[in-house]
Amino acid sequence: MKKWIWAGCMLLCSFAARAQDADNKSTDTDSKSTSAGYVPVVSGGLGYVYNVVGGVPTLLPQIDPVLLVPFGSHVLLESRTDFTGFFERRNGTGDYTGEIFKSVEYAQLDWLASSHVTAVAGRYWLPFGLYPERYQALWIAVFQDRPITGAIGTPNGSGDGGQLRGVAAQTDKFTIDYAAYFSTHSNTNELQASRVAGGDGSIFFPDKHIEVGGSYQRLLEGHEINSGALYAQWKPQAIPLDVKTEYDRSFYGQGYWVEGNYMLSQLPVANNLFKNLQIGLRSQQFDPLNGGGHGLPTVNTQRVDIALNYYFRDNNWRVISNYGRQFSSGNDQNVWNVGFTYRFLWPLWPGRK
Amino acid sequence: MAKQRLISKKTVLVVLAAVGVWIGAAGLLAQSQSPEAAKPAPQAAQASDTDRGEKVFANNCSRCHKPPMTIPPRITGTVVMHMRVRARLSRADEQALLRYLAP
Repeated sequence: MKKWIWAGCMLLCSFAARAQDADNKSTDTDSKSTSAGYVPVVSGGLGYVYNVVGGVPTLLPQIDPVLLVPFGSHVLLESRTDFTGFFERRNGTGDYTGEIFKSVEYAQLDWLASSHVTAVAGRYWLPFGLYPERYQALWIAVFQDRPITGAIGTPNGSGDGGQLRGVAAQTDKFTIDYAAYFSTHSNTNELQASRVAGGDGSIFFPDKHIEVGGSYQRLLEGHEINSGALYAQWKPQAIPLDVKTEYDRSFYGQGYWVEGNYMLSQLPVANNLFKNLQIGLRSQQFDPLNGGGHGLPTVNTQRVDIALNYYFRDNNWRVISNYGRQFSSGNDQNVWNVGFTYRFLWPLWPGRK
Repeated sequence: MAKQRLISKKTVLVVLAAVGVWIGAAGLLAQSQSPEAAKPAPQAAQASDTDRGEKVFANNCSRCHKPPMTIPPRITGTVVMHMRVRARLSRADEQALLRYLAP
């Protein structure tokens, strides 16, 4: 199987070398007119979260290094690996004990083929709905727990295969972007993936700052099922507000979440203190179908969350705190998250200043 | 448990061929288009590019995360390539973003 994956990568690279020749002349010229350099980068986030679910505390240290290695200005190798510790009290009251889990979230070769097409080969995040690609990064997520419906459309989280993505059409009034992918099945350690095919598309209206989109996925192994998502986001420029919502449905259940986040930067009182404070509210509901499971609840579940996050030092450091109340048949519980996150971005070696 | 045959060679070839045709067609299409970005330009055009870069940042990057820390110029190209893939930006938007972040 590996040789076929390598063959695919080589094929894509050969296309890249040929097609870039003429298509990218203007871009190369443009890049030289800026001071931008293409030195490899190590980026990512780290954090430490004290999590309490139903009175049971857990310590969750996490680091997610992202490696970016460009080959010229049109081919990029990028990877992200997640290291998350999971430590609980021994027998409920003793010392904390646990282990660190490791997973390769993506390790992909991107070829920026043209203005409208980027070809991706390797392991990649499955583009389904709003969360997986945009908001699950440790240093971005306002709420540390992903939505209840997060398991829909993300079997194993990532896919192994190929993907085409980019902007399909763009005018001053709207932008339409897309992603289409195929993933093979893999049992390889750290690279587990399901055999799936799917796509995601959205339209963004820059004047209104509104985006509306949808995702579809077909599982092509075992019990072949369809999954779908519809989502919308509104982020006005005049006020530091961000509202987003998503509805997801699969064979095992359906649900939605609505989230609003507001920075208190326009507060007229004690602005220096409050301008870096963020308040988030999220409400979600899930109804299982056909017994639920497969990463989803098996009973009707509702949950409300509130977040208070404070940003320091150019937004790199952040103190986070979330409280949630989950309601489900006979098992209502509180969920707490308190901790910090840090975003880093460093050149791998010196380059031109 | 017997090892499952994951995917046939024929399917792999068909998929790779389809991807190749798609990419080749896109490349040819892109070659036939006139260059999107402006030629070395008057200062007014550069200012316009910077404004556009700011809009690109506001309309795309800021939708997901807060404005970044200072990015050293030597890695700006790499970071913007990464963001172009993640945010599905067009090449014109990528160039505007480069001029905005590393003029």
